[in-house]
Amino acid sequence: MKVTLNWLKQYVDYDGSAEELAERLTMLGIEVEGMQKLGGDFPGIVVAQVVSCNQHPNADKLSVCRVSDGRSERQIVCGAHNFKVGDKVPLILPGHSLPAAAGQAPMTIKVGKIRGVESHGMMCSPQELGLGDLVEGLLILREDAQVGQPFSQYLGRATGDVVYDLEITPNRPDLNSVVGIAREISAVSGNALRLPTVTLPPTNAGGPAVSALVTVRLDDAELCPRYTARVVSGVKIGPSPDWLRATLEKVGVRSINNVVDVTNYVMLEIGQPPHAFDLHLLEKDASSGLRTVVVRRANAGEKFRTLDGQERTLTGEMLLIADPAKAIALAGVMGGQNTEINDTTSEVLIESACFKPQNIRATSKKLELRTESSYRFERGSDIGICDWASQRAAQLIIETAGGMLAEGVVDAYPKVAEPRQIALRPQKVNELLGLELGPAEIEGYLGQLGLKTVGRKPRPVDAPHGAAEPSSFRIPSFRVDLKREVDLIEEVARLYGVDKIPATPPRGAVGSHPSDSVHDELAEARRILAGLGLFEAQGQTLISQAAATLLNEAPVPLANPLSNDMNVLRPSLLPGLLDALRHNVSRKNCDVALFELGRVFLSQPAPATAPVEERRLALALTGQSHPLFWTGPERDARFDVFDLKGLLEEFFDQFGLRGLTYTRRPESTALFLESASIHLGEFQLGHFGQVLPQLTKQYDLRDAVLMAELNFELLLTRRNTAKTFRSLPALPPIRRDLALVVPEDMAHEKVVQTIKQTKTANLESVELFDVFRGQNVSPGQKSMAYALTYRAPERTLTDAEVNTAHQKLIEQLKQRLQATVRE
Amino acid sequence: MAGFLEQIEPLKEAALAEMSAATDLAALEQARVGYLGVHGKFTALMKQLGALSKDEKPAAGKAMNTAKTQLEAALTERRAELERQAALPKVPTDFTLPGRRRSLGKLHPLTQVTEDIVRSFRKIGFAVADGPEVEDDYHCFDALNTPADHPARDTQDTFYLAATGIAQGASPAPILLRTHTSSVQIRVMERQRPPVRIIVPGRVYRRDNADATHNPTFQQVEGLYVDRKVTVSDLKGTVEFVFQELMGSETRIRFRPHYFSYTEPSFEIDFSSPLTRKMGKEWLEIAGCGMVHPQVFENVGYDPEEWSGWAFGFGIERIAMIRYSINDIRLFYENDVRFLRQF
Repeated sequence: MKVTLNWLKQYVDYDGSAEELAERLTMLGIEVEGMQKLGGDFPGIVVAQVVSCNQHPNADKLSVCRVSDGRSERQIVCGAHNFKVGDKVPLILPGHSLPAAAGQAPMTIKVGKIRGVESHGMMCSPQELGLGDLVEGLLILREDAQVGQPFSQYLGRATGDVVYDLEITPNRPDLNSVVGIAREISAVSGNALRLPTVTLPPTNAGGPAVSALVTVRLDDAELCPRYTARVVSGVKIGPSPDWLRATLEKVGVRSINNVVDVTNYVMLEIGQPPHAFDLHLLEKDASSGLRTVVVRRANAGEKFRTLDGQERTLTGEMLLIADPAKAIALAGVMGGQNTEINDTTSEVLIESACFKPQNIRATSKKLELRTESSYRFERGSDIGICDWASQRAAQLIIETAGGMLAEGVVDAYPKVAEPRQIALRPQKVNELLGLELGPAEIEGYLGQLGLKTVGRKPRPVDAPHGAAEPSSFRIPSFRVDLKREVDLIEEVARLYGVDKIPATPPRGAVGSHPSDSVHDELAEARRILAGLGLFEAQGQTLISQAAATLLNEAPVPLANPLSNDMNVLRPSLLPGLLDALRHNVSRKNCDVALFELGRVFLSQPAPATAPVEERRLALALTGQSHPLFWTGPERDARFDVFDLKGLLEEFFDQFGLRGLTYTRRPESTALFLESASIHLGEFQLGHFGQVLPQLTKQYDLRDAVLMAELNFELLLTRRNTAKTFRSLPALPPIRRDLALVVPEDMAHEKVVQTIKQTKTANLESVELFDVFRGQNVSPGQKSMAYALTYRAPERTLTDAEVNTAHQKLIEQLKQRLQATVRE
Repeated sequence: MAGFLEQIEPLKEAALAEMSAATDLAALEQARVGYLGVHGKFTALMKQLGALSKDEKPAAGKAMNTAKTQLEAALTERRAELERQAALPKVPTDFTLPGRRRSLGKLHPLTQVTEDIVRSFRKIGFAVADGPEVEDDYHCFDALNTPADHPARDTQDTFYLAATGIAQGASPAPILLRTHTSSVQIRVMERQRPPVRIIVPGRVYRRDNADATHNPTFQQVEGLYVDRKVTVSDLKGTVEFVFQELMGSETRIRFRPHYFSYTEPSFEIDFSSPLTRKMGKEWLEIAGCGMVHPQVFENVGYDPEEWSGWAFGFGIERIAMIRYSINDIRLFYENDVRFLRQF
């Protein structure tokens, strides 16, 4: 819903800035979705008249105008075309600024040359003035505008205004009105609310009372619990006065005529949508001889033409306002064409009623007809306000359209609603909100919202010690949302200020500990490794001194071991895994793939008193690399060092480790026949390789044994788990294969690096797909075949350009690698 | 040319017969060429259309087109069928043969049980904490109100590290392998102000010879909760929640008064569930617990008047053994793949 600051200020004072008010409203639960500053007094902008208009000598789309600003004539270069000589337009004089959009610096107009022609000011469009209307070109002013008059005077505006676009939650129909919002501001600021003073104008003394003009027959009091009617006679339909039109237009409501505008104004002002009928277009009731309003359900299939000119087919569920002969309005949704206010209307019937929300919603939905009126009724209107709204409308109609009010009101209100009362226990407020408010403070907050205390209930005998007595509050009829105690507690919270409620940490919490996230990282690593087909092992942390020496590291001995099998703390996971392999193979589980993630203990030189504990990850493979299958070349394949390396590479990838390098260790170790160290930058992460055959024999293992061990602590510090989506390539790749014959000692990594160093254009990736020896390759040489993928991000590559680039690459490789290329 | 119309039907029938008789794609192609090819019989008839009179032409043309459409449809259908037949393997596949498996590894059963325990505790706001396995006797015993003459401190029960190889000369305090995860309680409380809600899974060491129910290393989970107004009733509620999460909603628990030096009052926890009844027991001892001893709070600088709390601990192997009906604790550390595969 839109409201303007100036409108709000008619009902409540607010001293803060427009932005502060927006913040306050939002924190009260009335979210400000938009805020538009309307131009204020438009300094330096005057009404001007176009005296002449000629083509710009240097620009087709521009014109050079002579414009009178009331004192002198100015030359203005203009880009708009929607005006003619003699038109009056707003003109901003040099040195002044246009109203700035929210958050932007204002634009100041200077004397300057536009395409070589001087311009002394600017003629303005509505957008440039912050007036919002989307008009192509300049704002053309009324003919009666006075040349030289300040533009703000022309607009009839002394000061600027702010339009707030508010999101009203469905539980608060009372906030769909300026008064409703003002009431909230009053409650939260403590400034008094000034309701519009309705002073009923003098009635047509001696003329007929309203009851002698119209009767109301309420056929369905369930769907329409209250219907009021007033009559104003002798009105003159015409345009609304400026203040009314401007007020409506600022909040986006089109001005129609004085009477209709008043009904819209009252709806926006106090939330109750009245409707105005041309009384003379209503039929009289045959028996009473009076014009009669009948509130009844439509007949199934009944046709009715609404104000918008649409003929609508109704169902028996829909509520109609009718006269004895015909339907005249779709209750609460839209009036009928047959009784609408027109230029000749002189007697106005003012309807102000209350309809059942569910019924209005159903009708509006079924007919796909949503109006400001249906929007308000379907959320629940204030039954108590019907007559007041009717008086307000009558007052304003007489003010703007003249006429005399008929004495009295017809108020069909068969079952007068009793004001609700709700009991509130102060301690309940504090229990729920976590505050310590006293009963007086609570009553104060609720009182600001118009909830009056109606006395305390006697204190229950079993009330907890110190608990304040519950108070009972009378709920004003506009607060249809307040139904039980907790609703009142919410009101207290809103007015106290939700942002002022202290935040207490989760009760009894919380376990923060650095290890908590490490635990998750360990679990993630384990899941990846299990997903790669490895079984998790958990070994003994106490092992034998003999097994520990395989690692060439001094283990940490126990002072009081139970036996020689378990007399030191493990300095590595590998001896334990070798034991596990032996255990399995000796039981004919010959194909084993294990990992272990656990701690090792490293002795430290003096003066350290305790060993260092370090988490490590180890892998051990032996036997067949693939699950049993009954055909195919891989069925007998045994684990080799590239199975192990493949597992490590996949694990590193999945775990977020990049840029690892592998360096062959020149010598065998006490454990490994051939192995490589794994580095991450300057850090050695671990090593992997094939276990010495004599050692595998010692452990009764038949097949090759491959093992790896990594420093997991180090690995955790080097993870990069950030993931950023790279858009999928839209264009096709071109693949070129390259078979290089190189010396045996040429490392794959060297080849790839060399290819990358050539910086060949559009080369996306390089993948090795074959290594081959013999046949046409001389001894001491090997053939390495690479698949090169070329792709440009923004265009499709041609074969020819890829061929050229590829050929150039081949020439460079021949030189740098002393390679020959197999064609 | 009165006979023109009569020629269409027999020719079409012959072509259809030849197509359906084709048993492979080559034969079908031959039939197509024979009728619909440039020199085919049907094409030849088509060419005669031009010679017909103006009256005859529309009917004959329509009949020819209908026949041709039918032939082309039959050809497409037959071709699809023959292609399908050609794609079938020579011998029908035996779908009962085992598939080419991609095997997934498994997490160790102790890891799985630990994860379940951690998950239950995290639901109620606990964080995982950790501490060293190699401890000093202050954190393992003294700070936990275990007096120097307490039997638990006997070397019969505790592994100590040899002073040699660690530090030459005067050793300030004996270095040992922690006998319980409770030592982490002290390390956490030393560094962090209350409230505290932690859970500590980890290895502990007891100097017991390995047998079906003992292993020199085994694993525990410790829970510690410190806050204002923490009560025994909170402890019972938490224990009940965690064990029902772990052992099923039918699990009941029972507290029995007991003694631990670092809690007061102390309790042993028994539980009862369909699992225990399967084992022939109504109640089975599963954990120890109690309200943190004021002396322990004082040792870490917490004011016991302001703070209260509880701790409990239990063996992970024991939970796993009950849950999976495992009868020998040593199985956990042998890493036999036939064992690991089962969980």
